Amino acid sequence: MSSEVETSREFIRGLCRGFESLASRTSSAALQPRLRSEQRCEVALNMLQRIFITVFAVVAAVQFARADPPSVTAVLSNSQTVVGATLELQIKVTGPGDAQPPEEISVDGLEIHATGQSRQFEIHNFSTNSSVTYNYTILPLRPGRFTIPPQTVRAGGKLLRTPELILNVADAPGSSAGTRQSRGRQSQSVSAGDLFFAELIVPKKVAYVGEIVPVQIRMGFDPRVRPRLIEPPEITGQGFTAQKLQESGQTSETINGRPYDVVAYKTAIAAARAGKFEVGPVKAKAQVIVPRARSAPRSRGRSPFDLFDLDDPFSDPFFSNPFAQMGERREVDINSQPVALEVKPLPPNAPPSFSGAIGNFAMTTDAKPKSVQVGDPITVTSTISGRGNFDRVNAPAIEDERGWHKYPPSSKFKQDDEVGISGTKTFETVLSPNEKKQALPVLAFSYFDPAKEQYVTLRSESIAITVQGGAPATQNVAASQPASPSPAKAVAPQRTEKPQDILYQLTDRPAMAETFAPLYTRPVFWTVQLVPLLGLIGFAGWKIRRAKIDNREARRFAALQHETSELMHKLRRNAGSPQEYYAEASRVVRLKTALASGSGGIDPNVVDAETAADTFKLDTDSRDQLRRLFEQSDEWQYSGAHNGPATISPESRREVLELIKNLR
Amino acid sequence: MKFFTVIPSKAKRSRGIPLKSPAVVPRDPSTSLGMTRGTALAFFFCIIFAITSSAFAQSDAQFTKANQEFAQGHFKEAISGYEALIRSGQWSANVFYDLGNAYFRTGDFGRAILNYERALALEQHHPEATANLQIARDEAHALEIQPSTLERYLQFASLNQYSIAAATAFWLAIFAMFALIFKQRRSARAIAVSICCLLVLVVAVYAIFTLERGSKGQALAVVTGKDVQARLATADTANSVLALPAGSEIKVLSTRGDWIYAALPNNLRGWIPAKNAERVRL
Repeated sequence: MSSEVETSREFIRGLCRGFESLASRTSSAALQPRLRSEQRCEVALNMLQRIFITVFAVVAAVQFARADPPSVTAVLSNSQTVVGATLELQIKVTGPGDAQPPEEISVDGLEIHATGQSRQFEIHNFSTNSSVTYNYTILPLRPGRFTIPPQTVRAGGKLLRTPELILNVADAPGSSAGTRQSRGRQSQSVSAGDLFFAELIVPKKVAYVGEIVPVQIRMGFDPRVRPRLIEPPEITGQGFTAQKLQESGQTSETINGRPYDVVAYKTAIAAARAGKFEVGPVKAKAQVIVPRARSAPRSRGRSPFDLFDLDDPFSDPFFSNPFAQMGERREVDINSQPVALEVKPLPPNAPPSFSGAIGNFAMTTDAKPKSVQVGDPITVTSTISGRGNFDRVNAPAIEDERGWHKYPPSSKFKQDDEVGISGTKTFETVLSPNEKKQALPVLAFSYFDPAKEQYVTLRSESIAITVQGGAPATQNVAASQPASPSPAKAVAPQRTEKPQDILYQLTDRPAMAETFAPLYTRPVFWTVQLVPLLGLIGFAGWKIRRAKIDNREARRFAALQHETSELMHKLRRNAGSPQEYYAEASRVVRLKTALASGSGGIDPNVVDAETAADTFKLDTDSRDQLRRLFEQSDEWQYSGAHNGPATISPESRREVLELIKNLR
Repeated sequence: MKFFTVIPSKAKRSRGIPLKSPAVVPRDPSTSLGMTRGTALAFFFCIIFAITSSAFAQSDAQFTKANQEFAQGHFKEAISGYEALIRSGQWSANVFYDLGNAYFRTGDFGRAILNYERALALEQHHPEATANLQIARDEAHALEIQPSTLERYLQFASLNQYSIAAATAFWLAIFAMFALIFKQRRSARAIAVSICCLLVLVVAVYAIFTLERGSKGQALAVVTGKDVQARLATADTANSVLALPAGSEIKVLSTRGDWIYAALPNNLRGWIPAKNAERVRL
């Protein structure tokens, strides 16, 4: 972290200098003392440092809080070996923080040395996962069954313990360590003096049907042939099943004085039937570069690889000068020798809870919750860890199911090695008590131990629980009898409480059949929507019509008002004859009456004196005046001659104008 | 071409007065047999009513017979009777409920639960079906799909009620908006009504969508087979995801041949044989 901070400081310092030099070229700031600039840089650097440290601390704290608690596993590369053959022990610590592995593992009869460690980081969805693997080599000094005790590892401030490991070491008379044949493996190499080889390593000669036997395949190539694998190695043979090959690493080795790049693969096989088998040969196909075929007698010098003047193909000039002559890329078949394996059948009289698991296992059990009501579910978690054929490891059986309802279990497997021979399989079984119980039923798991050559049954410890409600536990005869050797599944669960009965039949039925289709999918629903739609259309039409009518009325009003104002203007000017004057005056009265009638819509042409008087609610005098005005107008209009004077006196005009003005 | 017929007027016919001036009305060319349009319509409705009544009476008799078989303890015959009724389309909550009871008596808890669920799909508030469904589930240890919290709140009303609410809110909102458009002055009340109705519409439509796709929606099915295993792939040998006791609820996501890909209880998903499950909604 400090180096990163220093880098950042340098970066900021550079930026400051850059800005300073820029300022010196462009402004008078160049005259400012250099000290001031340095101070600003220092402040910025301190600020950056604080921010960086804070962010790092927060991220680290969050990551630490999110990280899973540390865990430790230990696994042997082989659970069976022979005296003098080394094997590998790996202790893997997963989780945050540093771990302190055991400095020394001492087991009488085994030489165990630490050989190094490797660290892995994984990031999944912003959560990091780190693990450290500590490697040890084990050299068995004598035959026997060895127990590597649990080792204490301090990780993340916690003390963790590895599982106990069992190693069976067979005697290998006449063997000596250090050579390929002496490492206790049945291995065959194909023409070791050649450019490539393959070997199949099966650590056991004898196995049981279904037992998982780890197998290693090694393929070595001379580094100069630059191999390109076309077909990966495949174990041929019949009578066994093989798991998927996993590449376990590449090393450089010197075999018989020759350097080889060795690729190792791991897998496991399981025999399907008893008998004697040949495992292999391993077959693979690769492209390698080989020297061109020599047509002329050898006239070149000896290759530096060909120390003993053997017929080393790499003494070809191609390898000393690749551009001198072209080499030849050739497809080659790589085969190993087969390995014999004797497969024995499993002994008879397997326990009832045996499901085909073969190996060496341990079982732990837990249950949650421990206090429930009758009928409530309890999740029982059984963890089976160890080494063996986990595909045949089934959930532990309940020895006595009486008073319990069992749901089918779920399982989860976490393998500790590449091929899944060792690991932990966790089963979650939901049990539901049908009556009051004080403890969970005993769970049993059976397997065949090939080392002991006998069946082993693991039983869970009694887990106390509290079950409340429901009928009290009845002392039935079956429960008081000694445990039956027959499987628990064979015993039918005995119901202790009377089941609840269902309600009566209903005999009435609606007149119309019902339908499952929701209302909005039925045609009637959408048909009904036509009613408001038509209503809406009607409403809109009515509103539009109203608007049009209102518009016409407004135009009529405006025309009447316009005519009124023009006539009033004329009347005030006093320009016309008496005939015109009275006609216009009576017309103004009619117009005003029509305007006053509002939305009543009176036609001005049909208005008479009485209508006008009623509209304006005139008193008797005004009413008489209005009548006289209409009479005079009619007289002038229809008689052709007037009885009075030919002109209108100013008083009469004033009276008429006042009368018209008062019409409101 | 015009057809004419002479008929007495109503008043005169009713009083029994002899005809003096017969009313001449044009005869509807669409009617034959000398019937007026009204008479033809009445005749048509009579025939429809007669057919419907006959069908209902027949199915009623079938229902009564099935109930009698049940009462006498002949559960298989009762099941046949109820199923014949259902096959003829005479669906009702009580028929499915009674059929569920008959299956319960025969120990087929899967189909009992299926039919109780159907009764509840037709009538959300059917207390007898609810009670018996719970008993059947307890007996079969059937697994249920748990609805989400939102779905649980939305289930206070049925799909049909939400549909009616949505339609009503839609039209009210439309009318209020029309009123706003045509009115010269904007009314705050009309605006508030429009907004409220639109909100109700949105909530109702969302509720319909959620319920239809939810745990009790159209994809709901019930496991009717025994010892059914939900598997990772469409093969009997594929790894098991979950063991489904009869009567367990599943939600059908897709179908491939004879297999159903379904959402299972406990938020799992898996393939189960199609013959081992039936949809609740027919």
